[in-house]
Amino acid sequence: MATAESASAIQRNQVDLLDFIDWSGVECLNQSSGHLLANALKQGYREDEGLNLESDADEQLLIYIPFTQVVKLHSIVVKGSEEEGPKTVKLFTNRQHMGFSNVNDFPPSDTVVLSPDNLKGKPVVVKYVKFQNVRSLTIFIEDNQSGSEITKVQKIALYGSTVETTDMKGLKKIEEH
Amino acid sequence: MICIDNSEWMRNGDYAPSRFQAQADAVNLICGAKTQSNPENTVGVLTMAGKGVRVLVTPTSDLGKILACMHGLEIGGEMNLAAGIQVAQLALKHRQNKKQQQRIIVFAGSPVTHDKKVLEMIGKKLKKNSVALDIVNFGEDDEGKKEKLEALLTAVNNNDTSHIVHVPAGPNALSDVLISTPIFTGDGEGGSGFAASAAAVAAVSMEEERARQEAAAKKAAEEASEQDVTMTERSSEGPSGADNKKNEIPDDDNTLLQQALAMSVDEPASTQDLQDTEISDAAAEDPELALALQLSVQDSTKDSSTEADMSKLLADQSFVSSILASLPGVDPNDPSVKEVLASMQNQSESQQKQDEDQAPEKKEGK
Repeated sequence: MATAESASAIQRNQVDLLDFIDWSGVECLNQSSGHLLANALKQGYREDEGLNLESDADEQLLIYIPFTQVVKLHSIVVKGSEEEGPKTVKLFTNRQHMGFSNVNDFPPSDTVVLSPDNLKGKPVVVKYVKFQNVRSLTIFIEDNQSGSEITKVQKIALYGSTVETTDMKGLKKIEEH
Repeated sequence: MICIDNSEWMRNGDYAPSRFQAQADAVNLICGAKTQSNPENTVGVLTMAGKGVRVLVTPTSDLGKILACMHGLEIGGEMNLAAGIQVAQLALKHRQNKKQQQRIIVFAGSPVTHDKKVLEMIGKKLKKNSVALDIVNFGEDDEGKKEKLEALLTAVNNNDTSHIVHVPAGPNALSDVLISTPIFTGDGEGGSGFAASAAAVAAVSMEEERARQEAAAKKAAEEASEQDVTMTERSSEGPSGADNKKNEIPDDDNTLLQQALAMSVDEPASTQDLQDTEISDAAAEDPELALALQLSVQDSTKDSSTEADMSKLLADQSFVSSILASLPGVDPNDPSVKEVLASMQNQSESQQKQDEDQAPEKKEGK
């Protein structure tokens, strides 16, 4: 029952937050140099199954995504392979410059354990009440499905809505009148 | 973050004039080059031997301070490479400007006692946290040292941001050999044209600096005391909580002080350490709270320490009236506000006992 509702909710008033990502501030720790975060996050790249975000020194990844405005996060999609795709994903809101050493010092806003269905593209609905006022999102991928040395993420998509309904571009047009 | 080897092995004279002096010259040179190439660069120094790993100066852009800390370094003990790198990583983690790239430059003059595995783990951890590593292999050249250091480099290297340089003993000074390496040229950050000419200039200026090192040390000490004085002046104008904060910070690290002061002056809402700071800063933000505070101070119901701070704060008329004027919900022409202001003027002139006398009058008046 919940899944059917959430699926339609995504179509109803949740948008892909890709447009609101502040790319200048996006950071990813422990990514392998040939397989960067852009492969999983950016339009086009994320649809390509051959382009993945891969971890480097070990299986963990720490991704920091700031937004250009305050957003509400409703759900996320994390796609990956059955073995090397992520398993435990912790989400933190509005914390800057987290590192692997202090990631366990704060309670996450939500913890998600991805099932094989999720890895094929089924969205995971997050605890909406905790994500009402999101300026930045930190995604900590703690481990992967099979416990292998490298975690591979094919796609990360964020769905939600904006808090302010004012569209800045729209505002400019009004001024021109 | 530069890690210096000040172990017993540094007494040897196979690098002129002694291994330690050659190392110190190289460190001075690097510090100068880094601070000059980009004003936002900061450099810190720690020693790996002696009684234990010790941070001499946390990352700072003040060259005089860095050079001053190199004075009076004692040689002795054994180098602990692993601990040195880990402490350096920690020092970098706490740097002020989180946007800065992290780099550790380690001078490995002694034999390396750690296992290759241990070094590889360290390297991996550095890579995971996006820390680059430059290794200067000089001094002792025992079995496996080169191999171990190379393994460390491979573990940490990410896209050629880390380097290793092997400097054998010989006629060339350690500094001269290092000038032409990527450790100095900063792997293309400063631009390739920077490399030879500016480095030569830096070398010459380093010669001059050595002669002036004592003067620099003196000046740094003076500057430190000067800055402390200016900070005292600044803090007395600002919220009173800043004073308490400054007293709590025991060390003489100016950057930390400035940061703390900036925090308490610019971002009142963020700190939660002191009750005083909280109250005075919260007052600046919340108009109702500010009024309530002033009223409560008149009533003198607070404890003596807070009262002393409050009266200090309120004593600064221009400061408070400017706060009131800037508060969104408060209209300075509002009669009740005017009354409060008038009463505050009385307060600042009289003792606290007189305040108590006036308070009941004010209460009745309302």
